[in-house]
Amino acid sequence: MVGQEDPVQREIHQDWANWEYIEVITSSIKKIADFLNSFDMSCRSRLATLNEKLTALEQRIESTE
Amino acid sequence: MPLVTRNIEPRHLCRQTLPSVRSELECMTNITLANVIRQLGSLSKYAEDIFGELFTQANTFASRVSSLAERVDRLQVKVTQLDPKEEEVSLQGINTRKAFRSSTVQDQKLFDRNSLPIPVLETYNTCDTPPPLNNLTPYRDDGKEALKFYTDPSYFFDLWKEKMLQDTKDIMKEKRKHRKEKKDNPNRGNVNPRKIKTRKEEWEKMKMGQEFVESKEKLGPSGYPPALVYQNGSVGSVENVDASNYPPPPQSDSTSPPSPSFSEDSLPPPPAEFSYPADSNQRGSGLAGPKRSSVVSPSHPPPAPPLGSPPGPKPGFAPPPAPPPPPPMMSTPPPPPLGGFGSPGTPPPPSPPSFPPHPDFAAPPPPPPPPAADYSPLPPPLLSQPAGGAPPPPPPPPPPGPPPPPFSGADGQPAAPSPLSDTTKPKSSLPPVSDARSDLLSAIRQGFQLRRVEEQREQEKRDVVGNDVATILSRRIAVEYSDSEDDSSEFDEDEWSD
Repeated sequence: MVGQEDPVQREIHQDWANWEYIEVITSSIKKIADFLNSFDMSCRSRLATLNEKLTALEQRIESTE
Repeated sequence: MPLVTRNIEPRHLCRQTLPSVRSELECMTNITLANVIRQLGSLSKYAEDIFGELFTQANTFASRVSSLAERVDRLQVKVTQLDPKEEEVSLQGINTRKAFRSSTVQDQKLFDRNSLPIPVLETYNTCDTPPPLNNLTPYRDDGKEALKFYTDPSYFFDLWKEKMLQDTKDIMKEKRKHRKEKKDNPNRGNVNPRKIKTRKEEWEKMKMGQEFVESKEKLGPSGYPPALVYQNGSVGSVENVDASNYPPPPQSDSTSPPSPSFSEDSLPPPPAEFSYPADSNQRGSGLAGPKRSSVVSPSHPPPAPPLGSPPGPKPGFAPPPAPPPPPPMMSTPPPPPLGGFGSPGTPPPPSPPSFPPHPDFAAPPPPPPPPAADYSPLPPPLLSQPAGGAPPPPPPPPPPGPPPPPFSGADGQPAAPSPLSDTTKPKSSLPPVSDARSDLLSAIRQGFQLRRVEEQREQEKRDVVGNDVATILSRRIAVEYSDSEDDSSEFDEDEWSD
């Protein structure tokens, strides 16, 4: 009986280990995706403020000209 | 509904049917790991996309910054050069030089197909294309694209554009009217008391409740006020013009252009009444709300022109055939609606001229304030204008357009109760009658074709002029501001008061 359970038990144990491994990988993928999204958003907001400053400067230069 | 911009592809790692293997758990693990690798691949594509967009944006900014730096350098050089030469400044130069106008570029077409981010565009491309209905276009009589009846992406823009153009034209007409009145009435001391009175009436009407105002508007006005209804869509404008026009039928000095027409007091309401139900019945199906109101507008030129020279201002229509069919046709509809008004004295005269506009719905003159005097110069542009503006609504109307004239020719003559010349026609022998009918038909067809050509020319002209939101809006605002500067600030206030 114990002999029969051992390989099964080992297999199940191994399976659990595999799943944990996969879980680690998928959660890190999700973290990367989240990071990419937030990076995108922050970059766009900064570029937008830059854009506004640029247009303000351009208008001022036009008026000086 | 939020649209997902980017998707990481194999969404479910292990929802699959398993192949029959011995070690199922291992199989699952391997499948899941393979999907993880695919997900990593799509993640990298996702990241490349994001960084690409940010990179292009940053590049444009960099170029702008460099150009700005150049300009600053040039200015700096100029300023350092200018210091010694101080004699160029003169008071006259300061005053006469043109004021500084910055060139503000308005952002247009922000949400165009081109500005769609690439991943969303790819998602869009996976959708089915609309059916190729445009293959049916050569079989259509009215020259419109068949696909537009199924799905028309430019529908709302065309609607809005027509509305704006119409508004500008009306405002210009208002201006002309005001100038005319100013010239005509050097002594305008009477104007103020009259306006005060109308305000009171307005408030009284409001007391009863807004529903009564609407009913009054349907009964009372014709020509100009209902036009304002569909133009602005605000009850306030209706009330204002309603109030301003309802009391002054005897008063020629009103803001409404058909003041000469209002001299015949009983006349305008009946044609308006009959044209309202007739038109709403005809064009009931498949019309949007604002479009319906704008569709109702074609009924208004029928009231307005009859008061001028009736068959005269109808270009593109052979005048001899025009009067005979309208009276027989009009004899049946006018009596029922006119019964309520009890002013049947003048239905026959308005009916013949009111009918000619009816069949040529392909180019109905929508702006209601065509005063009789101004009518003859105005018809060609008026006729052509709505044709461009109402391509979607008239799917039912253009087919009814050609059928009514032949039917009128067929039905009107047997049922001729009116004592006009066409009563002699049924008495005459058949060949002359059919000849007259065929002549009428051919003339009508020619008329239609003539109008279509005019419409096309007008449309082309307008397309060339400027199709953007910005130009149209700027034109309208300019006209409105100039108009308010002249006069009638009160009028504009009421327009905006809602």
